[in-house]
Amino acid sequence: MFNPESIIRKGRPKGYLRETLVRSFLRGITYLIVIIALMIFGKILIDGAPAIFTSKFPFVDIEFLTAKNETLHVFDDAQGTRHQLPASKYSDYVNAHAGATLYNEQTFSYSGGGIAGPIVGTALLTIGSMILALFFGVSAAIYLAEYAKQSPFIHAVRLAILNLAGIPSIVFGLFGFSVFVLAVPIITNTPSDRSMLTIPLMVGNYVLSFQGWNSSLIAGCATLACMILPVIITASEESLRAVPQGFRDASLAMGGTRWQTIRKCVLPYSLPGILTSSLLAIARVAGETAPIMFTAAVAAKDDLPWQGLSNPFGVLSSQVQALPYHIYTLAARIPNSEYTERAQYGSVFVFLVLVASLSFGSMILRAKLRKKLKW
Amino acid sequence: MANKESASSKTAHRFQRRGFSYERLIKYFFASNAGLTIVILVLIIVFLLKEGLGFFPGYRRELETYRIAGLEFVDISRKNLTSHEQLTSLLNRAYFAEINGKAMREMRRFQEASALFNAYSDQTGPTRDLILNNPQSDAGGNSGMLAVLRENYEKQKQKALGLLPATPHLTTDERNQLVSSLRARAPETTEDPPLVVSLTENYTAAQAKFSEPLKDFRATIDSFGAAGSDLGTVITEMTESVTATKEKLQSADIIAKDRETLLAAANNAKNPAERERLLVDANAAIAEKPDVEGPMQLLMNRREDCIRLHQQLEKSVGEILPAIPQSLSQPEANRILRAAHKSWPVFIADLKAAPEKIKIWNHTDPVPLSDAITSFFTGKDWVTGGEWQDFYGILPLAIGSLMIAVVALVIAIPVGIGSAIYVNQFAGNREQNIVKPVIEFIQAIPSVVLGFLGILVFGTILREISVMDSFQWVPGFPIEERLNIFTAGCLLALMSIPTIFSLAEDALNNVPSAYAEASEALGASRVQTTFRVMIPAAFSGILAAVLLGLGRVIGETMVVLLVAGNRIKIPDFTAGIGSFFQPAHTLTGIIAQELGEVPLGSVHYRALFIVGIVLFVVVLGINASAHHFVNRVRK
Amino acid sequence: MKIISTLIASAALITLSGAQTLSLKGSDTLGAKLVPQLAEAFKAAGNTGVKFEIAAEGSTTAFPALANGTAQIGMSSRKIKDDERTFCKTKGVYVKEHPICHDMICVIVNKNSPLSALTKDQVAKIFTGQIKDWSEIGGAPGKISIYTRNTSSGTYKDWQKLAMGGRDYASSSQKLAGNEQIAQEVAKNKNGIGYVGLAYSKTAGTKALPIGGVEPVAQNAKTYAYARQCYLYAPDKPTAEAQAFLDFVKSSAGQSIVQKVGFIAN
Repeated sequence: MFNPESIIRKGRPKGYLRETLVRSFLRGITYLIVIIALMIFGKILIDGAPAIFTSKFPFVDIEFLTAKNETLHVFDDAQGTRHQLPASKYSDYVNAHAGATLYNEQTFSYSGGGIAGPIVGTALLTIGSMILALFFGVSAAIYLAEYAKQSPFIHAVRLAILNLAGIPSIVFGLFGFSVFVLAVPIITNTPSDRSMLTIPLMVGNYVLSFQGWNSSLIAGCATLACMILPVIITASEESLRAVPQGFRDASLAMGGTRWQTIRKCVLPYSLPGILTSSLLAIARVAGETAPIMFTAAVAAKDDLPWQGLSNPFGVLSSQVQALPYHIYTLAARIPNSEYTERAQYGSVFVFLVLVASLSFGSMILRAKLRKKLKW
Repeated sequence: MANKESASSKTAHRFQRRGFSYERLIKYFFASNAGLTIVILVLIIVFLLKEGLGFFPGYRRELETYRIAGLEFVDISRKNLTSHEQLTSLLNRAYFAEINGKAMREMRRFQEASALFNAYSDQTGPTRDLILNNPQSDAGGNSGMLAVLRENYEKQKQKALGLLPATPHLTTDERNQLVSSLRARAPETTEDPPLVVSLTENYTAAQAKFSEPLKDFRATIDSFGAAGSDLGTVITEMTESVTATKEKLQSADIIAKDRETLLAAANNAKNPAERERLLVDANAAIAEKPDVEGPMQLLMNRREDCIRLHQQLEKSVGEILPAIPQSLSQPEANRILRAAHKSWPVFIADLKAAPEKIKIWNHTDPVPLSDAITSFFTGKDWVTGGEWQDFYGILPLAIGSLMIAVVALVIAIPVGIGSAIYVNQFAGNREQNIVKPVIEFIQAIPSVVLGFLGILVFGTILREISVMDSFQWVPGFPIEERLNIFTAGCLLALMSIPTIFSLAEDALNNVPSAYAEASEALGASRVQTTFRVMIPAAFSGILAAVLLGLGRVIGETMVVLLVAGNRIKIPDFTAGIGSFFQPAHTLTGIIAQELGEVPLGSVHYRALFIVGIVLFVVVLGINASAHHFVNRVRK
Repeated sequence: MKIISTLIASAALITLSGAQTLSLKGSDTLGAKLVPQLAEAFKAAGNTGVKFEIAAEGSTTAFPALANGTAQIGMSSRKIKDDERTFCKTKGVYVKEHPICHDMICVIVNKNSPLSALTKDQVAKIFTGQIKDWSEIGGAPGKISIYTRNTSSGTYKDWQKLAMGGRDYASSSQKLAGNEQIAQEVAKNKNGIGYVGLAYSKTAGTKALPIGGVEPVAQNAKTYAYARQCYLYAPDKPTAEAQAFLDFVKSSAGQSIVQKVGFIAN
């Protein structure tokens, strides 16, 4: 008698081997990429941690994070002991041991001291560009989510957002250089020769001169803000749209104006979402090098941006060091040796931890938010 | 307006009208911010064009100078001389490859012995210098310190002896002999160890021995090399005269421009003294019209010389050719020789064609603007800041970008899409929750960090792998440069995998679940469902994912700037797959490398903006087609 | 809105001109090692009030920066060109030349290369691409990898003039950002060759070859084939800090640092 079950139970189905192969191949490449990612993090953590962490309390090398960047002097004293000193301590040493001969002297640019300048510069660039981008981006998103109807204007705006999001960062660098560094207007009494247009202001001999802001913090912030604007707009619009329509209807039904509705009933509920996704944008802004190369960054600067300025606004017009640019300098301009590794891997470690914790934070917050806000 | 907004409330019109302008103001404020995106996009386009478009007229003027001054004329002959030099080099390489191939054993032994000695010297060098350069060491004074140094030296020596490289071609006895001579070595010794000396001598002797039967070949190569010397001399002489003319032309251009700027500056000067000073300068800057015709006449007098020398070269090459052996005994030498034999016909045809070209060349031929445009888009040279002539040809850069993108996509497409399929279709919930964040986390690694790792770690690892014997079957191995297209492509693949992964996963997610359910209800297995139903349904989305990944790869800057090797040359495609292991330069990299360094407003500066425009258009095109596919899915 | 923010920003920018920093731009040969150390010594010598900004992208960048006033001192490893001088003039800047040291461009190869000397002719042929394999000049067989500076570098142009008779670099040459990077690549590639300033010729893993029998050491500055002068450029009426710095560089204290870093004092 024919029993169909015997066919089913006997051995494995026809395509089993192939199925398993395909499945394990796919699993293989998936884990390969996971392992590579973990190896990269591991490499930086292992090589970078010694620069940051110390065995003594407080277990963190505060000096590396707070000291200025200097040249590293490596030399042997007459006893054959090897010293590694940043420039300022080196001159102290030389003064203290006047007359002593030093042997095998070597110097390594950018490798001594710490990375306070780049950290501060990146922080300022990020804060500045996020202020600009959030202000303009959230406003644009409010228009798109709350006011806009189908119209050619909206269509153009959406097209512009889409295109802006795809432009390579180096093109933003070119744009920032030609617009913010060379062409935007400033008020001055001494217009530069490269000014494209000067408009007298009738106050003293001040003129509005289209000569740009030079390479400066504000030019860098503006460039980065333009770059991140589409991301902020898209994310904010999404958060705004996530607020249930009922909230708006209720407010409008009570006689609230549109602005009151937005201010009281929509923005408060979408703000957590907006801020969470902007954390991700911060990570991206902090990580970009190409747009600030020509608009804001310098390789070496011995003071923090606000030091030695008569006017607090002067910060905006000074050039800054920035972590990604600093890492570029460390990778491209100085040799790799046992003495430079502390600076190189240490900076990368700090940078990666900074950027990764931002995006990790954003991920966790987003997951939490999704759970919490269920309308 | 107000009616439109709060739809159909007719009753509250009085109050509303009071708030009317206020509300409308707010709306316009928001609308203007939305319009800002359009403004930025327009500004980007306008300013790229503003800075970039001046390039073509400027470049045309440079090409015109190139012609008027006669540089182009010299380059006709120079090109043939260069090919002659290349061929001489090829023959020389074949010759030496033959000798070295035969003397391989001696060479290896010599190389291994000296590598071992070098490793030892590297380790002990610093302490040794310390002992030798210590002024107290000759005075014999502070002997305690010297003792410390000598102790250090011994320590370093022990360390060095522990780290010696392998020497597979030396016998154990020889190695022991060498090591013991190193162990006994005093810091003051300057001679090489005896074994190194004797192996060097052996090698030289072997070279001499094996070059003996090749004497005829050597003589042929030498006479071939000498055949070009006359042409070389004439070209050198012509070079001097045309460079002088070019300089005159350029300085006349500059002076004329300076006069204008000085006069303009004088007009705007604030105080009379400043104006006076500028005016004096301006008046001093009167350009003499440079005499082009005179030097050109002299150059043209050499026309006959050039033609004669070309014919002479052709003749002597024709005479020498038969004397060159058709094959050599060593495979490497033979390969090179074959390459040389392959290029003869081309070389001779070039030589034959040269007199005609020289004859018809005319310095008064106009240089139309289209020449500048075509030579930019099809030019094979990007030469800037040189003494001779600057060329701006985008081809090597575009090909570099393209090849890097190919490598990146070849790696990223299977990995990115494969893992998306796995995570979406096969992975369990818990697995998904681990794998997805890790892959998305890769996106958070800033590109400069990847570039940093590439330059410090990955490139070196790649080179070490490439010299391993077990990997010699890979085409292009061992690699010459650790920074090359492949290195950059691998890192860019890593950057684009998260993009491709998450978009492809979204696309799979968006396939209605009814598809999969229907397929499974018909008895299809999971793999069948995935490959026959899910992937075809999500195909447009996956294609869009790949295109967006491509856009990201082409536009990426820092990784390629640091890791691609920055060689501005179209890779040598005769190497086949191996051409992916050559260095290249890219569209993005050239902007990042050169923009900070060029004078504002120069032709070079504008060329970089044109490159930026090309990049902008290409990437927008890619993205637009990606969105086209996404939209098709939505419909 | 945009206008208001622009106005705020520009109000801030008015104060720019009063800043007390001393900004130096130009040559990487000078700016990567020598000038930072001169600056550090200058500050250690009691001028603590001066702040330095040093950007070393290549000599060509020095003069536009001087002209636009974004730098008070320009660093250059070559002489200023006429058009650069006039360009500065049109912006009201009359530049003055301050020769501060001599430098020699050294040819470096990997430490493990068996070569111990090169002739001028061989160097020219290698860098123009006429010689492509080390075996052609008696080295171990291997394709030559040429490392050069980027195009805005004064060393790039000087080298073209001094060593290559004005011919173009071989198209296989790789352009790198600085001396240190060239030295590093040569140290890592057994077939590498490159040129660096004297101060960088002692990098581990590389060796500087004598050219035409002349060792590239400071004593041979007169006879060595590729020797040149390095300059600082400043406006004829420099700021007080710039003048003090220039004086310091030319003083014996400054010149001893020049010597220590590996350049040849005036």
